[in-house]
Amino acid sequence: MANITKKVSWSSRGDDSALTGEGTPLLNGTEIPKPSRQDPIRGRPKEIPHNEKLLSLKYESLDYDNIENQLFLEEERRMSHMGFRCLEISRWVICGLIGILTGLIACFIDIMVEKLAGYKYQVIKENIEKFTEVGGLSISLILWAVLNCAFVLVGGVMVAFFEPIAAGSGIPQIKCYLNGVKIPRVVRLKTLVVKVIGVICSVAGGLAVGKEGPMIHSGAVVAAGVSQGRSTSLKRDFKMFEYFRRDTEKRDFVSAGAAAGVSAAFGAPVGGVLFSLEEGASFWNQMLTWRIFFASMISTFTLNFFLSIYHGKPGDLSNPGLINFGRFESDSVAYYYYEIPLFMCMGALGGLLGALFNSLNYWLTIFRIRYVHRPCLQVIEALLVAAVTAAVSFTMIYFSNDCQPLGPEHNEEYPLQLFCADGEYNAMATAFFNTPERSVRSLFHNQPGSYNPLTLGLFTLTYFFLACWTYGLAVSAGVFIPSLLIGAAWGRLCGILLASFTPTSPIWADPGKYALIGAAAQLGGIVRMTLSLTVIMVEATGNVTYGLPIMLVLMIAKIVGDYFQEGLYDIHIKLQSVPFLHWEAPATSHWLTAREVMSSPVTCFNRIEKVGTIVDVLSNTSTNHNGFPVVVQVLDSDEPAKLCGLILRSQLIVLLKHKVFVELARSRLSQRKLQLKDFRDAYPRFPPIQSIHVSQDERECMMDLTEFMNPTPYTVPQDTSLPRVFKLFRALGLRHLVVADDVNRVIGLVTRKDLARYHLGKHGLEELQLAQT
Amino acid sequence: MLPYNLYLFFVFVAIDVPSLKCGDVVHLSASESADKLEAVPSLSTAAVSSPVPPVDTVFSFSLLSSFPEDLEVSDYCSDLLHIFGQRYVAYVNCLVPAARPVKVCQSCYSTYGSVVEIYKNISSDQMGPGNVTCRDSLLRSDRLMLVYQLYSNLESLWEDSNCAQCVTGHLESLTNDTLYFMSTLNQTLTCFEKYQQGNHTELCKNCKSAYGTLNVLYSQMEQNSTLCIDIEDAMNMTRRLWSKNFNCSFPREENVPVIAVSSFMLFLPIIFYLSSFLHSEQKKRKLIHPRRAKSNTSLMNIQDKLS
Repeated sequence: MANITKKVSWSSRGDDSALTGEGTPLLNGTEIPKPSRQDPIRGRPKEIPHNEKLLSLKYESLDYDNIENQLFLEEERRMSHMGFRCLEISRWVICGLIGILTGLIACFIDIMVEKLAGYKYQVIKENIEKFTEVGGLSISLILWAVLNCAFVLVGGVMVAFFEPIAAGSGIPQIKCYLNGVKIPRVVRLKTLVVKVIGVICSVAGGLAVGKEGPMIHSGAVVAAGVSQGRSTSLKRDFKMFEYFRRDTEKRDFVSAGAAAGVSAAFGAPVGGVLFSLEEGASFWNQMLTWRIFFASMISTFTLNFFLSIYHGKPGDLSNPGLINFGRFESDSVAYYYYEIPLFMCMGALGGLLGALFNSLNYWLTIFRIRYVHRPCLQVIEALLVAAVTAAVSFTMIYFSNDCQPLGPEHNEEYPLQLFCADGEYNAMATAFFNTPERSVRSLFHNQPGSYNPLTLGLFTLTYFFLACWTYGLAVSAGVFIPSLLIGAAWGRLCGILLASFTPTSPIWADPGKYALIGAAAQLGGIVRMTLSLTVIMVEATGNVTYGLPIMLVLMIAKIVGDYFQEGLYDIHIKLQSVPFLHWEAPATSHWLTAREVMSSPVTCFNRIEKVGTIVDVLSNTSTNHNGFPVVVQVLDSDEPAKLCGLILRSQLIVLLKHKVFVELARSRLSQRKLQLKDFRDAYPRFPPIQSIHVSQDERECMMDLTEFMNPTPYTVPQDTSLPRVFKLFRALGLRHLVVADDVNRVIGLVTRKDLARYHLGKHGLEELQLAQT
Repeated sequence: MLPYNLYLFFVFVAIDVPSLKCGDVVHLSASESADKLEAVPSLSTAAVSSPVPPVDTVFSFSLLSSFPEDLEVSDYCSDLLHIFGQRYVAYVNCLVPAARPVKVCQSCYSTYGSVVEIYKNISSDQMGPGNVTCRDSLLRSDRLMLVYQLYSNLESLWEDSNCAQCVTGHLESLTNDTLYFMSTLNQTLTCFEKYQQGNHTELCKNCKSAYGTLNVLYSQMEQNSTLCIDIEDAMNMTRRLWSKNFNCSFPREENVPVIAVSSFMLFLPIIFYLSSFLHSEQKKRKLIHPRRAKSNTSLMNIQDKLS
């Protein structure tokens, strides 16, 4: 948090305790700061409706920067060569564990979804068959809606009431984490549990969602948990991997976990590594890449292995991912060079549709944040979506006249006959009356002619709106599969239409091939990932030949889509008011200097500071800062204090807790010296300042910060341009950057929120406002 | 793919040796080959007596291409070959008329059995009279492997048609399941015939039970995987008769209740969103003004500075 004496605009009510994030002290609102004298106009509280141009105070930076204080140096000196080697080995062990656990979770989700959805569809199918004969199909419709709602109710209640952060796909949150933003509660065990159960419920509940996105979040939580060797939720400490209890190490493992999640979701180990690279690439090295690749491989192998056992064919490793696109191998799905322009047109269409999807979802999300913010309302909304999904699907199936003969190999898991002739099934039902993954696969692989164009058109239209409506509900669910499904449907439609234009050579317009390209285009248009998505798609199809068309399609979808609207994940990050740092500082910002960017004046501590002052500063609600420059006053002179280090709130709290006071140290010589371990034990949830009791006597004591502060914080001169500061921040993963003048006096502090507030809007450079959320 | 490759490999090994021998034979003098002419007629008579059209026109050429006795096919083997040909023809003759409507299993299982039997004889490695096995000479002496190819074609036909499901193990008779199915089918068809003339609604009503039992029986057999192409085809035809010709499928009759229920459900979210828009308190954000060194970084100033 910025180290600024902020003029907080308080509401008239003094009981505002909304500012409670992890690691942020609870504000009991006892101290109401005096209205600022300098600027009376701003003293009034100003409230505005939520919009995208805000930065929330809730989010803090992670401490990626290593604090090289004396304790650290001591520990490093004590550590033997062997110790370092052991650390390296344990990193590999952790990565292996991450892979195995992520694979197991994926396996669990897959099996549960298959069981529950299978049960549900079986019940409904029997019911529909019964009522087709005797009449009363509206009862089947109600049964379907009720079953959907029952599943979604469980998932929705868990998410809305127990862990709201588990809503959605989790990819935006992980993106933020890898970017260096601490999202409260995002990597906790409770989140994982809610996420896993939530995703099973929402997929089994028939919502237009997939289970792939949440896998990435799950992998990240597993990684964060395993690497710490303990769980604060379970109150268990395994006394393992204590060295890794800090943000720098944890971030590396989280990126491995995200990669393992992608890898398990799509059977795409390389795609997983590239996903982590794309999202968290500012902190990267070759060794880490190799380790992450290891985790990815282990994860996909574990999933594959256990699924093969589950399917009763141990050792048959043919299920590398949750979604299995099936194999595109036959000659008929090869493409010719003259098809590439067609693919590119489809890419453009995907970009357009993606932008439309994102715009609709953007308005919907703003509405949700403003009006549907109470948990019970969120659950009701999810239930309504589930019911409407069932109703719409049923109506579509009911009025569909598209009957297809049952194939010899029974591709259709739950063929519905309804009003079709005996021995035929309703083609609309294969698309709607199925889990989305299976629908995608049948769109890719069913014989040409198994869908008629009208069916596909209607399906695309309804599913587009359903998916758009569903994303952002308070259920954990991913957007990958719905996007793929929409794209596969209109892609297949394109293929069929092309084939009908050229009746002489029906081979080159194989609908399955166009379904794949359409799926890629739609997904690219919605999420706007580039490199990793290409590799994921190529790996999931298991066909390198499609690399070029998929790449071109994704590229064009991104270009076209970016012209209208940002990617879905970026929109959601923005709407969450997260201070997200993009790759580069906004263009045309070179004229801004650190002086204008920084916060000032800064609250500093002296190197030997009175405990009372520290406690007061820390418990001041209006200055909820996290980093404090430490200054040294040259004795017997009027010169202003000079910068000599930087200390963090968390460190101060640990020091206060252990009562490391100068006076006490003198009186009790035998007192154990504080070690780095004590700081690690308190990580990552440092107690709030209110929980630390400091007596009146102790307030008079002094604290020597020399040993604990970071003696060499990064500083910049005040004329440094914004892009330069930005680059430093982004590349080093900084949290605080001190702005110093020519004689090393602290004149300001740049934090993440100071940088993230500039962005390039429609009318040039714009500034985001800070707000409490 | 792999077994086929392996097989080819073996074949190459097998033909390698004779080809060497042949090379030796070719170097024999022309007079010797002339002596062989006497042996040819016996062979050619055998060829003529076979059902294939006479080869008189090419007879003169075949004279030139005869080989010494030890390389020729023995009488025993050529007899076998002859029988194989006859049975093969019999089977094909049986198959073709049974193609539509499909009755290949019912009518031809016994002829298939005889083909299998003779092929077994050819391919067995037991010595026949005169200590000869015909396996090598008939099946794998050349690249074409005609006998083998012919037989494997039939075999794959048999497998594709799933006839083994409907015929008892040793190809003696149809299974009881099949016979029962056929009789049920016949009942249904007679019922169809009976009511075919008049109103189809009458037919739908009266034959429903017969058709229903047939359907149930069929799905049972489907689960037990005791279906062969005959049964599948018969069922398909019956279903088509029932659904398409007689139009006995279920009519779409409940449009009103279905539309009513689903539009009610579609209506709910509209109420929900409207009510939450009107009644729910809009979430407001409290703005916080950070302290800056100079208050010139507001948006207005940015704009000014840019312009």
